Amino acid sequence: MAGNILEVRNLTKSFGGLKAVNDLTFDVKEGELLGIAGPNGSGKSTLFNVMTKIPFGPTGGEVVFGNQRIDRMPPHRIAALGLARTFQKDAEFPDLSARETVALAAVYGRKLSRAGAMAATEEQLHAVQFDPARADMPTTELSVFDRKQLMIASALVMQPRVLMLDEPASGLTRPEITALDALLCKIAASGVTIMLIEHVLSLLLSVAQRLIVLNQGSLLAEGDPQTVIKNPAVVEAYLGGRAA
Amino acid sequence: MDTLISTLLSGVVLGALYALMASGLSLVWTTLGVFNFAHGALMTIGAFVAWTVSEAVGLGLPAGVVAGVASAALLGVVVEYLLIRPFYGRPNMLLITVMTTLAGMIILEKGAQMIWGARLKQLPRLIDGEVSIFGAVISAHEALIIVVAPLILLALWQFTTRTYLGRSLRAVGQNQDAAALLGINVSFTFALAFGLGAALAGLTGVLLGGIRFITPSLGAEPLVKAMIVVIFGGLGSLGATVGAAFVIGLAEAFLVLTLGLYWTPFALFLGLIAVLIFRPNGLFGRV
Repeated sequence: MAGNILEVRNLTKSFGGLKAVNDLTFDVKEGELLGIAGPNGSGKSTLFNVMTKIPFGPTGGEVVFGNQRIDRMPPHRIAALGLARTFQKDAEFPDLSARETVALAAVYGRKLSRAGAMAATEEQLHAVQFDPARADMPTTELSVFDRKQLMIASALVMQPRVLMLDEPASGLTRPEITALDALLCKIAASGVTIMLIEHVLSLLLSVAQRLIVLNQGSLLAEGDPQTVIKNPAVVEAYLGGRAA
Repeated sequence: MDTLISTLLSGVVLGALYALMASGLSLVWTTLGVFNFAHGALMTIGAFVAWTVSEAVGLGLPAGVVAGVASAALLGVVVEYLLIRPFYGRPNMLLITVMTTLAGMIILEKGAQMIWGARLKQLPRLIDGEVSIFGAVISAHEALIIVVAPLILLALWQFTTRTYLGRSLRAVGQNQDAAALLGINVSFTFALAFGLGAALAGLTGVLLGGIRFITPSLGAEPLVKAMIVVIFGGLGSLGATVGAAFVIGLAEAFLVLTLGLYWTPFALFLGLIAVLIFRPNGLFGRV
C-alpha cells in the first residue's frame, strides 16, 4: 500500500464571509490518479490555488507534501519541491515561444544548466507530442490543444512528484480529449501522482483511480469513482431537484 | 548647415540620455506594472554619489561612476522592498504605488539636500576635448554618450532576450502566476527589475552630471521626459521606448531651435496628446 504524498488538513479559504474552501481534509496517495469533481463554484480550482499558493494561500489549515509543510512556503519553492500544476485558463507568455517557456521551467523549476535545459525541453515537448514546427511560434498563435500540451510539458519538465491538472480537457475536441486521455495514462504510468479536476466526466471516470467530490467548498463524497458518482448526495449536488 | 547638424547632434545626445532613463522606467513598468516616480530621484542620488566618490573623496572618476551606478541600483532595490512590495496583489496597487513612489521621490530629494546641500556640483567629463562631426563641434563627453547609450541598451536587449534571467523578467511581466508555476521567484525578479532600472537611472545621472549642474532636483525634468518617452513609445517594449526616446530628443532639439526653450515643453506635450488621440497605444505600440 503506497503512503501519502500529500496530506490536506482542515484547509480553509475565506473571501470575506464566503468560505470557498471549507475545512477540507483528505490525503493523496503516492502514484495514484485522484479525480476531483464538483459543480461550478464548488471550490475545485480554489483548492488548487491555495495548495500551490498561486495566486493566493489558504486562510487556515495545513498542506503537508512529503514530510514538509508547504502552506507557508512561497509558490516558487513549492513548485521546485515537485508540486506542479496547470491552469484552467490559458497561462502562456505572449512574448515567449513554447520552447522558451519549457526551457524556463527546466532552468528555474529543475535547476538545470543551459545545455541540460535545452535537452530536457526537446525531450519533454516530444513526450507530450507537441508539434515541433510550432515550438518557436509565439504562444499566442498556438491552438487551445497546443497550449494545453505546453502547460503539461512545462509542468513535467520540472520532474514533479505531483501534477495538478485543472480542467485540461476544457475547450478540446473529442479527438483531442482522446489524445489527452492517452497522455494522462502515460504520465500516470511513469509514476507521477496526478490530481485531476475535470468537468468532462467520461474522461475523469476513465482515468481516475479514486474520486473526491466537492460542494460549496466542502468534501461531499470520496472513494471509488463508479460508486461515488452514483452517490445520491453527489447526484443531488450536480442535478439539484431533478435528481429526486 | 552647421546649425542643423549641431541641432541634430544635440537631439541625438538628448535622445540617448532619455533612452537610458526611460528604459529603466519601462523595465519596471513591464515587469511590475508600476510607474516609479522615484526614478528621477534615483538618478540624482547616482550623480551625487559619483561626485562624492570621485571629487569629495578623490578616488577618481571611474570609481565614482561605479559607485554612482551601484548606489542607485541598491537604493532601487530598497525602494522596491519598502515602498512597492508591501502592496503587491492589492486591487488598487497601481494607485497606492503612485503615492508611495511619489513619497519616495520627495524623501530622496530632501535627503539629498540634507546630505549634499543646495550648492551646485558638477562631475568632470568622462573624456576631455571636443569632437567635430560634419563641421559641428560637440564635447567628447557628449560623443561618448552617443556611443555608450546604444551599447548599454543593446546589452540590456541581449540580456532580456538571450539569457534565462532576462527571460524570467519578461515572463513575470507577462504572467506572474504562470511564472511562479515554472519555479521563478517572482519577488526576486521584481527586485532585479527595480535594481536594473535604478542602475540605468544612476548611469544617466553620472552622464548628465558631466553636462549639467547636480542639484537635488536634477532628476525631476528627466523623469517627466522619460515618462513622455515611455507613454509616447507605447508601454511595454524596450525597442519602442528607445525609438521614442530618439524621436523626442530630436523633436526637443529642433523645437528649442525654432520655438525657443520656453514653448518647447508645451509643444512636446501637445505632440504627445495628438499621438495618443490617433494611436492610443503609443507611436510604436501594438494597435
